[in-house]
Amino acid sequence: MANEQRRSLRQRLFAILIAGIGSAAASVISYAAAIYHAANPAPLRTAATGEMIDTGQWHITIAGARISNKPPTGIKPTEPQTFLLVDFEADNRSAASTFIPSALFSFDPTIPELPEPTIYLVRDRWIAGPVNPRMPEKLTAAWQLPQDYAPPPELRLLVGSQIYKERDNLYGASNWFDREPVAAVELDLPDAGAEARR
Amino acid sequence: MSGGLKNAVALCLAIAALYGMRLSTPLYSEIVSPVAVPGVQGKPAKTARFVMGIVKVYLAQELTAPGLGGTRTYTTSGRWLVIEAAAKASNESIALTSAQWRGPDGIRYAMTRRLSTTPGLLGSERLEPGIPRPILLVFELPENQIEGGTLLIAESALAPLSEQLQITMTPIEAANIHPSITIERGGHILPWKLEFQ
Repeated sequence: MANEQRRSLRQRLFAILIAGIGSAAASVISYAAAIYHAANPAPLRTAATGEMIDTGQWHITIAGARISNKPPTGIKPTEPQTFLLVDFEADNRSAASTFIPSALFSFDPTIPELPEPTIYLVRDRWIAGPVNPRMPEKLTAAWQLPQDYAPPPELRLLVGSQIYKERDNLYGASNWFDREPVAAVELDLPDAGAEARR
Repeated sequence: MSGGLKNAVALCLAIAALYGMRLSTPLYSEIVSPVAVPGVQGKPAKTARFVMGIVKVYLAQELTAPGLGGTRTYTTSGRWLVIEAAAKASNESIALTSAQWRGPDGIRYAMTRRLSTTPGLLGSERLEPGIPRPILLVFELPENQIEGGTLLIAESALAPLSEQLQITMTPIEAANIHPSITIERGGHILPWKLEFQ
């Protein structure tokens, strides 16, 4: 009787030990993998202008960049201002009309005190609304550059990505979420400086 | 041996039951989504808070409308769908602000924001109980998402569990398809006037 009890106790201990070692090994491997990937990020893909970039929710094609003293509306502001304009085409791959996310574009190195861009619809030369699925549109992102900032002749634009979560971590609702950049585009600014302060 | 078999069967059943529950759990977005009220074109569709009827539906390749700083022509890579409708609040004054077009593939197109200053557009006026008001709806749609579409109308796109009218639309008559439609400011009763080319 006592012998049998001891044996079953030993079996249970053995099972607990195996489970403990297994789960400890699983968490160590998962943490180690996460730390390794954070320390050695995969090199960012460099896309040429005119090349399609799949960001998850969008297919983005960067056409080019320019410096202008006018926003894409063509109406010159009363106070002289400098705008950095990036022309691109966006195809909405989701199932509903969506605004271009404000975190879609960033620069490397970052431009200090750069405000959020305003997205213009080339068709209307006016501020763009939500972009419809299956209707690719030509758009222009316009950044109003800080007054004391001299744009360099080359800029590196990072294009962000989005993932779809069927159940998000907070509410369990379905939504798109911004993720880190998927591609970098080297942009030439041929008229930097000259045209900017005209 | 039979005990082990029983355990294995119980385990499989439990896994199947858990998997079934996981599959059948509705998404949060589904739990709080608007309550659908079906309707058909040609009959007034009624929710608890408002009544709406579709009067006429037009299709065009190009739209000309009064915009900021003069009349503008709006081009599109698809088609413009222009819907003339009328709506009335039931018990208290409300504002209808959300209109979507659900294409036959289930894709949702929001009402265009390109014509922001056109008179009579949905959301530009409040509805009062007992006073029917004309409402203009304009959508920009790809050609293959027009036929077999559903019009979704709600007070707000963000209010969960509120009622949403889902009006099944009939195919557009050939006489109502035009190369270009001009929207002009209208008179006292109808705030807009359509001209066809």
